[in-house]
Amino acid sequence: MQHDPQPSRDPRILHPDWEPGDTLIALLARNARTHPDGIAMRERDHGIWQQTTWAGYLDAVLALAAGFEAAGIGPGDIVLVTGDNRARLYVATLALTALRAIPAPAYSDARPEELLDQMIREGIRAAVVEDQEQVDKLESLRDRHPDLTKIFYDDPRGLGAKAPAGAAALADLAENGQARLAAEAGLRDDLIGRATVFDTAVLLHSSGTTGAPKGIPLRHGHVLSGVRNAAAAGYFREGEEHMAYLPMAWVGDFSFSIAAAIELRFTVNVPENQETALHDLREIAPTLYFASPRAWSAMLTRVQVGIAETSGLKRRLYDHFMPFALELERARLAGRKPSALQRFWRGVGDVVIYGPLRDQLGLRRVARPYTAGEAIGEEVFLYFRALGLNLRQFYGQTENCALAVAQSSDDISLTTVGRPFPGVEVRIDETGEILLKGGNIFDGYFENEKATAESLRDGWLCTGDAGQWSDDGQLMVLGRLSEVMHKADGTRFIPTYLENRLKFASAIRDVCVIGKDRAFLSAIVCIDFAAVGQWAQERGLSYTSYAELSQRPEVLELVRREIARLNDAVPAELSIRRFVNLHKEFDPDDGEVTRTRKLKRGVIDARYGQIIDAVYAGHDEIEYEARITYESGETGVLTRVLKIGDLDGGQH
Amino acid sequence: MFYRLSGVRHTSYPAARQLWPIAADRWQVGVLALLALLAPLLISDLYLGSYALPWLIWTAAALSLSLLMGLGGQLHFGFAAVMAIGAYSSIHLARGGVPFEFALLGGGLTAAVIGTAFGAAALRVKGLYLVMATLAMQYLVDWVISNVPAISGGAQATLRTPEVSFLWIPIDSLDARYYVALLWTVLMTLFFLNVKRTSFGRALAAIRDKDFAAAVIGVDPFRTKLTAFMTASFAGGVSGAILAFCYYGAVTPEQFGFNVSIQLVAMVLVGGLGSVVGGYLGAGFVLLVPIVLTNLIAGLGAAGWFSISQNLTAHLPLIFYGGMIIGFLLFEPLGLAKIYDNIRKYFLVWPFRHSGS
Repeated sequence: MQHDPQPSRDPRILHPDWEPGDTLIALLARNARTHPDGIAMRERDHGIWQQTTWAGYLDAVLALAAGFEAAGIGPGDIVLVTGDNRARLYVATLALTALRAIPAPAYSDARPEELLDQMIREGIRAAVVEDQEQVDKLESLRDRHPDLTKIFYDDPRGLGAKAPAGAAALADLAENGQARLAAEAGLRDDLIGRATVFDTAVLLHSSGTTGAPKGIPLRHGHVLSGVRNAAAAGYFREGEEHMAYLPMAWVGDFSFSIAAAIELRFTVNVPENQETALHDLREIAPTLYFASPRAWSAMLTRVQVGIAETSGLKRRLYDHFMPFALELERARLAGRKPSALQRFWRGVGDVVIYGPLRDQLGLRRVARPYTAGEAIGEEVFLYFRALGLNLRQFYGQTENCALAVAQSSDDISLTTVGRPFPGVEVRIDETGEILLKGGNIFDGYFENEKATAESLRDGWLCTGDAGQWSDDGQLMVLGRLSEVMHKADGTRFIPTYLENRLKFASAIRDVCVIGKDRAFLSAIVCIDFAAVGQWAQERGLSYTSYAELSQRPEVLELVRREIARLNDAVPAELSIRRFVNLHKEFDPDDGEVTRTRKLKRGVIDARYGQIIDAVYAGHDEIEYEARITYESGETGVLTRVLKIGDLDGGQH
Repeated sequence: MFYRLSGVRHTSYPAARQLWPIAADRWQVGVLALLALLAPLLISDLYLGSYALPWLIWTAAALSLSLLMGLGGQLHFGFAAVMAIGAYSSIHLARGGVPFEFALLGGGLTAAVIGTAFGAAALRVKGLYLVMATLAMQYLVDWVISNVPAISGGAQATLRTPEVSFLWIPIDSLDARYYVALLWTVLMTLFFLNVKRTSFGRALAAIRDKDFAAAVIGVDPFRTKLTAFMTASFAGGVSGAILAFCYYGAVTPEQFGFNVSIQLVAMVLVGGLGSVVGGYLGAGFVLLVPIVLTNLIAGLGAAGWFSISQNLTAHLPLIFYGGMIIGFLLFEPLGLAKIYDNIRKYFLVWPFRHSGS
């Protein structure tokens, strides 16, 4: 029994063009038939990259599916999947879809309460997890959610004979399933043929910036249609080397590492763990690489730190060639063609600097580097393009498999996100909202009629993003429609737009712009400890903690300059007049940002109301009582004096 | 700059142990191998016969000694004597009608047996005392060769090598002799590279670092040390035989005197203990730099850049040469191989200063 929101939205009627047998599992069987010895997966384990062929992949999926079935998992069961990226978790995800059960991935660092809410809301009775840590986390929730009876784990370390009741190793399950497959003729083909294109392939979740996360069921047909659209436009090629390192609970990982990987026969490389991902990236040398703007920015910082401490000749060469390439790239985006001499000199630079740098970062073979999720800093974007990577932006949401709009190679611009994929229609309605339509758009939220009705209108997905068309017909995304705010005098502003521009400064990690129903805009700034710490060290400024560093007058001045630069670039009524450096970073554990580091404004407004009031009351500093929750669960109070910075005219 | 490490990944343990996992290294080895193969076409007979050929043979000899001193940590100041044993026994075998291939093996085996007998001293003594024991070997062997006419043919005699052929190819032309030497040096190089990743190689390293600690973890010092002396002496003996047949053409006891032993030690030390690259660089340095310096100073003198006495012209190169050795050992005690390694790493982490940034 599949969870269809209501009979009137029967997927068979909604998607008459879908072939019923067009499922991920059938495509996997196709790959196993046509390329039995092709490498489907590599996972770093015991010091080497253990390889799985397509035939082996299919066998593992079927064995686990048979094992799951024997353990009592059936069609329509929602099964929690959580942990870092592991080959066997991907196998388990597919095995669940083969049984027409629904895998519901969760972030591996989700708090127990978040998991509990999800499990109760969705009636989850079984979970597939990575290791002992996740087993313990679920075990602690069992008294509050007794329905959770089965826990299957991948890594038996620390469990073994000590595993709690109801927990079983995936390896044992697979062995059991293997025996079933051997004993029951026809089970193999039966398992391959059970799922249909209309079944839910995965149940993902919205980030929950406002309120509880909403379940987003995506059917086989949705993800496959999204992947095929992207492939048709040349954004994916067949047989890419792909690295699966992004959280499994994020839609992109399902689209890339499972759907696209199976449809287009990618080799999926799973790093040893999150900490070694950067090192493993270099060994993998993928041809397709996706990273968030934040990750690209971290990579740039890594290069800059490395160059700052390198030896003379290397630094001088870098200092010559990198600005040259940046200048060239900027000119190219402005539509000017480089001269023959410039092209030659760029070739020299490629041998001396750009090539070696790409190699150091592990991006030597990347032909299709992408970013999405939020706006990418101009500096970062230009830098990697100058380095010779054809970095492009994607635009999409979980609701459309994250595959909706992307930049094409030939008309990159800094302000737009590109054109829709073939098969995706984009419209901007009279309120300025971006609407999307296509085979990759989901059919409605999980058991949430109200939200579904709000976001799906006549088959159009309301993204909630404010957008407009550029002169050459590309889509520009301005920010969240719901985030449009008004100052006391009625001036419209989108705080995230200002915040993202400010965050491009390396000194600023997070910032929250405030000004709703106020006379002027102000900002709560969280400095970037690593970058500002380095900056302070170079200048011999002493500090003992984040809090102390953030209140140093020199650091305040640094932040003031960054804000002043933004003020110069935006209309006068959008300029930020006052700011305060917070004594700590926004932390998902304190509920101030989501796991993907999106601000939760309600929480911030409530927690720092005292500070905000002082800012608008015109004080020069504020004695703030910080409430701290220790890891043990106890709370304490710390008093901090925070200075409030003014920009020109701040006292108005 | 030209090293590319991304995409270097191993999917099996044998692949993870390969000698040159990085493409740029394979590429350099390939180019060097090609140059070595084509050398007879590329350079004149003079350079081939008086520079390239001895360089190769002395490299093989230096590698043999480096196996003992670098990997095993057993000092040996009588290695020229080991080579002499190999040279004399192979010549006598060849004159007695034994095919050249077997005469080489015979020379090696004789050297191995006698070398191991003296190496037995290493079972009891270490360091300077072992130096004394091996010095004794040097003088004993010298004395025996000079004073037993059956071996040397008399105190002042020169023993000519007979006409031989290797694998049915007569070793009479310079090119043929060059290729025989090249073959042996390549074999020796491959052996050295591979021995480091065998259990024997690891046992040697354990013995070098601390022999009784090695014994505690189950390495048999008795067997390992003797095997080390035997292997190195065998290789040294064959190198000596090759030197006699391919380069000298005739041997006298003075060619394997004490000063030659010291030169061999210098090659190993200047090159870098226990390193293949060091073997090549050390042999090249000790052998070729004096010649280059002599030619340079003579050339400069002849061109009238400065006028110095005949006497000083002869000694100036030696002064510079000595100064260079001191300089190298002062600035890079780990030898030329370490300098090569530093340069390689400079490019390996390009454009950063160190890896792991």
